[in-house]
Amino acid sequence: MAPDAKLSHTAAMILQAIHAGYIYGFSIMEMTGLPSGTVYPAMRRLERDDLIRSQWERQSIADADQRPARKYYRLTGAGRTTLEATRKRYPLLERLIPTEEAKSL
Amino acid sequence: MMPGHGSAFHAFHLSLLRIASLVAPSRRRAEWWREWRAELWHVRRERVPAGGLCWPAEREITAFCLGAFRDSYCLRRQSPRESQPPASFFGSAAYCLFAMAVVLAAGMIVALRLPGVRAVTGTPLYRLNPHLVQIQRAEPDDDAAPTVPYRTFLNWKARRQRSFDEFAFFSIAYHSVSTGGERPTRWTIAHASANLFSLAGIPLQFALTDPPSDLPSVILGCSAFVRNFGANPQIVGSVLQIGEMNARIAAVLPCRAVALPGRVDAWLVEPSSWEAHNAAGYVVAHLSERGRLEMTSPRIAITAAGAGESQTEFWGDSIEDGEPGPWAIYLFTVFLALLSLPAVTSVSMAESSFSSHKPSLSRRLCRWAFLAGKIALLLALTYFISLDLAYSWFPIDSQWPLNIQLFASFLLSLFGMRWVVLDQRRRCPVCLRRVSNPARVGDASRTFLAWNGTELICTAGHTLLHVPGLPTSWFSAQRWLYLDTSWQFLFAASSES
Repeated sequence: MAPDAKLSHTAAMILQAIHAGYIYGFSIMEMTGLPSGTVYPAMRRLERDDLIRSQWERQSIADADQRPARKYYRLTGAGRTTLEATRKRYPLLERLIPTEEAKSL
Repeated sequence: MMPGHGSAFHAFHLSLLRIASLVAPSRRRAEWWREWRAELWHVRRERVPAGGLCWPAEREITAFCLGAFRDSYCLRRQSPRESQPPASFFGSAAYCLFAMAVVLAAGMIVALRLPGVRAVTGTPLYRLNPHLVQIQRAEPDDDAAPTVPYRTFLNWKARRQRSFDEFAFFSIAYHSVSTGGERPTRWTIAHASANLFSLAGIPLQFALTDPPSDLPSVILGCSAFVRNFGANPQIVGSVLQIGEMNARIAAVLPCRAVALPGRVDAWLVEPSSWEAHNAAGYVVAHLSERGRLEMTSPRIAITAAGAGESQTEFWGDSIEDGEPGPWAIYLFTVFLALLSLPAVTSVSMAESSFSSHKPSLSRRLCRWAFLAGKIALLLALTYFISLDLAYSWFPIDSQWPLNIQLFASFLLSLFGMRWVVLDQRRRCPVCLRRVSNPARVGDASRTFLAWNGTELICTAGHTLLHVPGLPTSWFSAQRWLYLDTSWQFLFAASSES
C-alpha cells in the first residue's frame, strides 16, 4: 500500500495503538474500545497490506508464565510511514492513544 | 487455571470459536484457531474474577467470541482461491469423468429403489417353447374373448390328438383380494391348469422349493408383484385371501412373460376344482410333429368333432414371445443412435496441427482412453436413466414404460454421443483440459484473404485451437497449435497458483 493511502479511522486507531505498544488483539480492543469483530478483521487487512507484521511469542516464555503463547503485532516500515501520513489527517489520533514517550512528557 | 464452575462457559466459548474456525480457509485455520484460543484464555483471565461466576463478564466474553465469526469470514474473503476448487479442475478430464460417474451413481441408486426397474431387470432371459398355439372358437367378433368351455378342454385332453401333444387351460375371473392388513382390492385372477407354465416354458421366479400342500398355490403376475408388494421377493410363501379362499404365493411370473389374453394379476393353480366347469376359457396347445407340418401360417383352422355328427370350427393362433425386455430395447436404441449420429454431428476424430509436433504416444493413448471412458459411462447412464424415466410413474403392464424407455434411451444415447464427440474435439491433446476463452478473429467477408474463425486456448498453456468460421478447401477442419516456451510468461500466474 502506498504510504499516502487513506486509511479509515478504525484502521488508523489500530495502527496508532500498535505503535503505542498495544501489540496483541485484546489489548488493542481494550485501548480503542472497538469490538473483536472489528479489530481482528482490520488487523488482517493491515497485515495483508504490509502495514503491520505478526509474530508468535516464543513458546518457552509462555510456558514459563503458564499461559498460551500470544500473537504479537508490530508496525512495518510502510506502516510507520502510513501512520505518519494518517496523523495529519486525524490530528487527534495521538491524543486518543498516546505513546509511552508522549505520556511521559 | 480456569475456575471450576466457569468451565462450562469456557467449553461453550471454545465451541463457538471452533465453529467459527470452520469458516476460515483450511490453510490458515490452525493458526487462526491458535490465536483466538490464546486470546480467549487472556480475555477470560482479565474479565472473570477468580472463583466466582460473573454474568456480565461471561456475556462480554460471548460477544468477544461472536466477533470471531466476522474475523474468520474476513480471512476467507482474503483467500478467494481457497474458497473454491481451482478453476482448472472444472475443465479437466478427471472432473468430466467424475461428474458423469456421479450422474451414473444417482441413476443407479434411483433404479435400485424403483420396484418396477428391480422387477424388469431381475427377469431372467428366456424364450417360450416353440410350436405353441392358442385355440379359440372361430367367431369373428372378439379374438380376446374366452370361447372354449372347460369341458371341451377335458375332452380334448382325454382323447389322442393328431396335431397336438399337450393342452393347458386357463379361465379368467375377478375376485376381491386381501393382501394382509390392507383393504381388499379387485384383481384379475386366472384359474390355470398346473401344466400351463411348464408347457409354455416360462421360468417362475423366486419359486418355493417345497411349497406346503395345505393351500392352493398362486403365482403372482409381475404387475401385482410390483404394484402391491414393491417387487419384494420376501412375499413369496405368504398367504393371500382370494375371494373366500386362501392361497399361498408360490412364485412370481417374469415381467412381460407371454402375450396371453387378459391382464392377469395372479394365476391360481387349481388342477381339479374349477369353480365352474362350464366356464369358458383359453386353451394353449403344443403342436405335435404332424401339427407343425400343417401349421403353414400364423393362424390355422381347426375342426373339432363334437358329440354325434356335430363339428366345431376353431382358430389356432401361434403364440410368440412377449414384448422385448429393457435390455433388448436399450441395445436396439443404442444401435439406432449410432447409425443416426453422423446426421447430427461429424464423427471424424482426425487431428491436424500447424506443425509436425505430436503429443507422445502415452498422451495419445490417454486421450483415447478418456474417450472410451466417456462412452462407457454415457452408455451405462443412458441405460439406468432411461429405466428410471420409464418405470417411475406408469404401471409396469402398460405400454408407457416401453415407449418412454425407447425414446429416452434413443435420445440420451444420440445426443450424449454427440456431446462426447464435440467435447473430445475441445480437449487439449496434451492435458485433456477443455480449451476456453474463445476469441473471434478476422472477418467473414475476408475469409478467402485472411484467417477467419475462433481461437481457443488451453488454460495450462499447452495449445491453441483454431476453428474456422467458414470451412474452406485450405482450412476445413480445426487445427491445433502447440505452444512453445515463449508463451509461458502468459501462464506464469496460473501455474504459480
